[in-house]
Amino acid sequence: MQLTTHTTPSGFLLPSIHAAHAFFTEQPNPITQNTFVNNWIQLILSYARHRRLFVIRVEDAEVAGGDWDEVLRNERINRRVIPSYLTSLISAMVSRDLAYYEPPKQTRSVVLLWRLPEEWADVLHSWGTATGQINTILTMYEITDPPVPSPLSGIPLSLLRRAITVLTRSGRAQLIEVADGEGVRLLAGGK
Amino acid sequence: MHRLGGVGLAAFDRQRESQRSFAELSTELSKTQIDHLHTQLTQFRSALTHFASTHRDSIRKDPTFRHAFQQMCSSIGVDPLAGPRKGGWWAEMLGMGDWQHELGVQIVDVCVSTRERNGGVIELGELVRMVSKLRGVESGVVTEEDVVRSIKTLQPLGAGYEVIDVGNGKKIVRSVVKELDEDQATVLAEAQAEGGRIVEEILVTRRGWTRERARTALENMLLRDGLCWLDAQDEQHGKAYWVPSAMSWDE
Repeated sequence: MQLTTHTTPSGFLLPSIHAAHAFFTEQPNPITQNTFVNNWIQLILSYARHRRLFVIRVEDAEVAGGDWDEVLRNERINRRVIPSYLTSLISAMVSRDLAYYEPPKQTRSVVLLWRLPEEWADVLHSWGTATGQINTILTMYEITDPPVPSPLSGIPLSLLRRAITVLTRSGRAQLIEVADGEGVRLLAGGK
Repeated sequence: MHRLGGVGLAAFDRQRESQRSFAELSTELSKTQIDHLHTQLTQFRSALTHFASTHRDSIRKDPTFRHAFQQMCSSIGVDPLAGPRKGGWWAEMLGMGDWQHELGVQIVDVCVSTRERNGGVIELGELVRMVSKLRGVESGVVTEEDVVRSIKTLQPLGAGYEVIDVGNGKKIVRSVVKELDEDQATVLAEAQAEGGRIVEEILVTRRGWTRERARTALENMLLRDGLCWLDAQDEQHGKAYWVPSAMSWDE
């Protein structure tokens, strides 16, 4: 059979291995499985980046109709990732620091790190600089849901906090208590 | 009474004299023959050199011409690919050695980079396709014959590259030092015919194997050798094996 790449309706180019029936089964051979896991992680993260998806849940493999159908299912060969396989893929991502469980103390939902917190910190700081908001106190909401869409639109609060922590450590931001919660003041200055 | 050579002590001298003359004559004759051969060889060599330099490009580029050329060489007992030790000038003249070694390097490249997913076994046609892709040439420019010949030149390296005939006119290239037993070769052949998918039933019905034998062969390939993958969502049998080296990859 011919394994070909495929462009999904959302414009994402699926790799040819996604057309292999066995790709959707957890492999008993550890070497093969390692290859598959590497491919899956790469696929999940690049799709997340393509569609700006921050979260993947085991439910996404349980019910169709979610954001992840294009990746977790292949209707052309009638294969799908079963929930237990997704659970183990998620755990592999967590162990490689490419995702973290959110909320903590459960294993059914993760925030995906298609950018690491350090990279998000740089994105946040450059956005603040570019929009002239250095030294202004910003609420979390103003960052996650700005009136003009930004590279940070929709970022989960837990991930934003991690990025801010990176900035405060290097003296590029300050966490500030404001009336209705907390805010952040971005500071000029190099790394 | 006069006998030939006469009698007496003087006859010994005379005989020695004539023997020396014969020897001289023979040396002279041999020398002429060798000189003649040398001239012929020189002519042959210059003719070949001329041929090689004239057709060098065609030999490198045109598979049909290259095939004809190879056949001509083997019929006159000349190996154009013989390494630097023997027939070096010949390979040098054609640049054929370079071409073949370069192809060898690309074969190794493809085999190594796909080993992770096919367990070190690749179908010959697929290898040809991927090498052609790597070279950026259209299909047909590099032939199966070229690849097989290059694999032979890899043999002294002891990397274990080998072309195995699995029947049905299909050949596979094995790039790992691992013995393929007869049952595995059969499984590969059947998987080739099925586009990569193989189940116990096929081996039982088509080859008359016992279910036990089929299962053992498949499980060994899956678990021990990493030569096939498991699909637990097979519509027909619930469980199928897929041989990646029998699948055609487009990337």
